[in-house]
Amino acid sequence: MKLLNSIKKDFNTMTWVLIPVAIAINVVIGQIVMVLKLPVYLDSVGTMLVGVICGPWAGALTGALANTIWGLAIDPNALPWWPVALLIGFVTGWCARGGLFRNTWKVLITGFLVALVAAAASAVVNMLLIGGITASGSSLITVYLLQTGRSMIDAVLTTNFLVEPVDKISTALLAFAIIRGLSVRYLARFPRPENAAVEKNDLVALIIGALVFVVYVILVGSFFNIMFLWVGLAVSAILVLAVVLISVLKKA
Amino acid sequence: MSIVELRNVTYQYPFSERPALEGIDLRIDEGEFVAVIGPNGAGKSSLCYTVSGFIPHFFKGELQGSVVVGGVETRQSTLAECVRRAGLAFQNPFNQISGAKYTVFEEIAFGLENLGVPREEMRARVERMLERAGIADLAGRSPYALSGGQQQRVALASILVMEPQVLVLDEPTSQMDPIGTREVFGMIKELAGRGLTVLMVEHKVEWVAAFADRVVALDGGHVIAQGRPEEVLTDPLLAERNFGLSRYTLAARAALQAGLWPAGRRLPVTLEEAVEGFKAAAA
Amino acid sequence: MPEKLSFYIQRSSAFHSLNPLTKLGLVFAFIVIAYTSPFYWTATVIFGLGVLPLAFVGRVQREFLLAALRLLVPVTGFIFIMQSLFLPGGERELFHFWVFRVTVESVAQAYLTVSRIFVMISAFILFLLTTHPSALMTDLTRRGLPGTFAYVIISTLQIIPQMQSKAQTIIAAQRSRGMETGGSLANRVRALVPLVGPLVFGSLVEVEERAIAIEARGFTSRLKKTSLYEIADTRLDRGLRWFLLGLVVLSVAARVLAG
Repeated sequence: MKLLNSIKKDFNTMTWVLIPVAIAINVVIGQIVMVLKLPVYLDSVGTMLVGVICGPWAGALTGALANTIWGLAIDPNALPWWPVALLIGFVTGWCARGGLFRNTWKVLITGFLVALVAAAASAVVNMLLIGGITASGSSLITVYLLQTGRSMIDAVLTTNFLVEPVDKISTALLAFAIIRGLSVRYLARFPRPENAAVEKNDLVALIIGALVFVVYVILVGSFFNIMFLWVGLAVSAILVLAVVLISVLKKA
Repeated sequence: MSIVELRNVTYQYPFSERPALEGIDLRIDEGEFVAVIGPNGAGKSSLCYTVSGFIPHFFKGELQGSVVVGGVETRQSTLAECVRRAGLAFQNPFNQISGAKYTVFEEIAFGLENLGVPREEMRARVERMLERAGIADLAGRSPYALSGGQQQRVALASILVMEPQVLVLDEPTSQMDPIGTREVFGMIKELAGRGLTVLMVEHKVEWVAAFADRVVALDGGHVIAQGRPEEVLTDPLLAERNFGLSRYTLAARAALQAGLWPAGRRLPVTLEEAVEGFKAAAA
Repeated sequence: MPEKLSFYIQRSSAFHSLNPLTKLGLVFAFIVIAYTSPFYWTATVIFGLGVLPLAFVGRVQREFLLAALRLLVPVTGFIFIMQSLFLPGGERELFHFWVFRVTVESVAQAYLTVSRIFVMISAFILFLLTTHPSALMTDLTRRGLPGTFAYVIISTLQIIPQMQSKAQTIIAAQRSRGMETGGSLANRVRALVPLVGPLVFGSLVEVEERAIAIEARGFTSRLKKTSLYEIADTRLDRGLRWFLLGLVVLSVAARVLAG
């Protein structure tokens, strides 16, 4: 019952009208980024937006529908990745509910957490459905790593953990910039406006945000030696635990 | 019998500094056509939202006083029930297209689907509505591929087909070109002729004078004048408060001050009245 | 950009007149069987004897082949070449040049992957060519999918092309004001904000009015919704769906048994 209520809370008429707009924002920003040839995708800005102001379930639905519709109507390559998009929306919403979308540093942490989940999930989809080498540009990294003698799964994981943090942190920051541009009165119509209540940067978030950079540098090391990947992920896990602990302690 | 009754209504939007409506008393009788005028920020749209139930159901915030439409307190029913009694159409025709449908016919049927009207009845009602709105030839077109005036008539038809007891119109022609304005007012005139109860916010006072049984002037969330159109629309108080009065009224007012308008004669609202008055002055 | 985001071609054929859920079931059955079957030739057979002939039955063969050519061939071609060249392992070498070593195993694996992707996407293309989105949504809503889902899907399909044409207008306008969309990375990042800003905020502002508009049409009414159209669901449809379910179960079972 509690779960059902939590799901229901995410959806009011504003949510239902926002979701199509958010999906269109994903598509159009994704295409503008291609025109500008930027080294990121930024194609989940809308999904993250819904996750923050409507909640994790609405974010998950937006992500799943975005990739399904994108895949079926524009570019079939997007289709298999809907579980990844679903998780991006869900994790963003979950972090935002824990107050992790209120200042720049916290948003950076959210972006990193989303990236970890997205990297793992897309590795699974990739291995199961595509066989490791996809039609996207980042596959060049995978191919290079295969040449150095890595196994397919190692190469795919390394690629994902290198690429995803840059993309998802940029995406989260862009979504945050958009939310800051919206009026309090407008945001109040959505189910979870409190998630978007902007606050000043705080020291704890700054320190953790700085640690995120350190972890990312470690992950980049996995480009040269796979050991760095496991070390980076272990440190990430500790970081996630720390964030959870801090938020629990704050509530208590 | 009054179909809309507002008693001492005060409302403030969440996160706003002052009330949008303050101590409003308003009754609308069955079959009456009431026009609302007022400068920007007077509370005209808020009044529309209040009568149609969006205040408080959609906008939240605190609503004081009582709003009774069709004999039921709006607070006591759901928004979906409120809009069945008082249908709302507003300025931007593009944003009133549901987006859920591919043709004008389907678009108009959307409200009936939501109300669970049986298929045969739904078809018959939509077809009748298309005829009455004069848009039968657009039935198979995409609502997005229409002109502003056509879109607004589709929006009006989409609400009217649900057969509300009151039609609430919030500046339905403010984003129309002259052709669109004439199309939309043509349709509203036809409705008024059939005795539908209408509450319409409108800037274009010449049109207001042509249709309305009564005019309500709002300013700063208060009703500052109400009565027959020719009385309210020529009220000197309104000219002082920057209401957008008709250019004929303003011309005659200037003429009056210059001693060129017959003393004691009421100021004109329409071109015909102005011509009459100036003829009398010249005679 | 297409004005409508829909592949649908209105024609009358036996395949068109199947219930949308039956066609959707067919798509999923094809995909599941292609991916679970332990035989390397299954996906090829499904495409050759299933998807392709059905495109002819549905009288959309021309559109089907064109769409497959445009959307599928470049992607699968790329994946096939890359995987043939780079998949590790493999003992029977076909040929090698420079750093590349192509083996029988890598080509076989690449072919298997590509044929499965081909089935997955082409089955969906066939489905979309022969099924109108609102027919699918009407049918699914009748079967209990919340009406709000139908709203989201159809609305998305209509909003995307509108936003794309708005984006093009904005890009053209900014370029005519001298904005550079090329040059250094910093330049291109700077170009992002004036392009994305107006588009995003413009479309978000509309959300509130559109929510009011659909509420005014009884969107949240708790009455049982009806539908303007009736979607046929014949005994043939029901029979076919059971048959497809049986095939899927068999295929999954074969996979489990084969290990």
